[in-house]
Amino acid sequence: MISFNRSQVIGAEFPDADTIRFNGIQEDHIYGMEVQMEVRIADGEILKVDGNMKRYTNFVCPQAVPVLQTAIGNSLRDEGWESKIMKEIGRKGCEHFAEIIIECGHCLDQAVRSRDLSLALEKDPGLDQHQFLQNWSISP
Amino acid sequence: MILRFLRNKLVEVEPRPDGNLSVSWRLTDDLLKVEVQMIIQVPDMEILEAEAKMDRFVPQGCESASVLIKRIEGINIGSGLRKIVGGILGGADGCSILVNAVLESANAVILHFTRPGIQMGEAVTDADQKLAGLQAMLQSSPRLVRSCISFQDESPIMQGLNL
Repeated sequence: MISFNRSQVIGAEFPDADTIRFNGIQEDHIYGMEVQMEVRIADGEILKVDGNMKRYTNFVCPQAVPVLQTAIGNSLRDEGWESKIMKEIGRKGCEHFAEIIIECGHCLDQAVRSRDLSLALEKDPGLDQHQFLQNWSISP
Repeated sequence: MILRFLRNKLVEVEPRPDGNLSVSWRLTDDLLKVEVQMIIQVPDMEILEAEAKMDRFVPQGCESASVLIKRIEGINIGSGLRKIVGGILGGADGCSILVNAVLESANAVILHFTRPGIQMGEAVTDADQKLAGLQAMLQSSPRLVRSCISFQDESPIMQGLNL
């Protein structure tokens, strides 16, 4: 029998050409959290963030929700951004919110790459996808 | 608005008949599919076996994932794991996906051991007894002190504790 199970689901929308909107969910046997976050694609800056704590382990945990706002202005492309998010959002707030933000950060370039490949395939269904991704870089 | 990208990740811990733990970590998104399996020896927490498979558009540095992952066999889950795994599998030419897979699997193993205590705490309904239970947990797990808002010095849970 499974004794511990955790799922993370990260979805990405593109409300405009230079903004990505993440919706991250983390569910496990102990905790249940959600984060919505908007990020500027060009520099990875967090523009907007909101969170919902659905299941937690003690009465202090919900005080971590307003701490999420300190993530605004941080860049998901800066050197050491993961440690900074874990320190500022995780230690001063909730580790599980930080885990979701970090996974959104891991998805940033992957999601933009995926969008660009999808758009390129609409124009050229026979496109060499491996080559496209090898040559891909963030548009200036 | 429809999603242009979706990533699903799942980590599962399953006790084996021999007392060891089997950990399965999986990731799938529009461009990538990864599976990492590990066997963890209990109680010394040594990674006995590790296997990895990657598919779809495999990132640079991860092409030999099935070979690379073997480097973590023999490592113990414990303090310093992040640095050790980062050093073995990460870096500029490394495979950060495998680093994350191993660390998240190790975290899931720790939560496997944490879950029964939290479950027992839920049966306590008296607020004072609940607080005392949390404080006892902190005293027995000092690594949790200042790890999150609940266990910072200003938290009511920390009051009266000299940790």
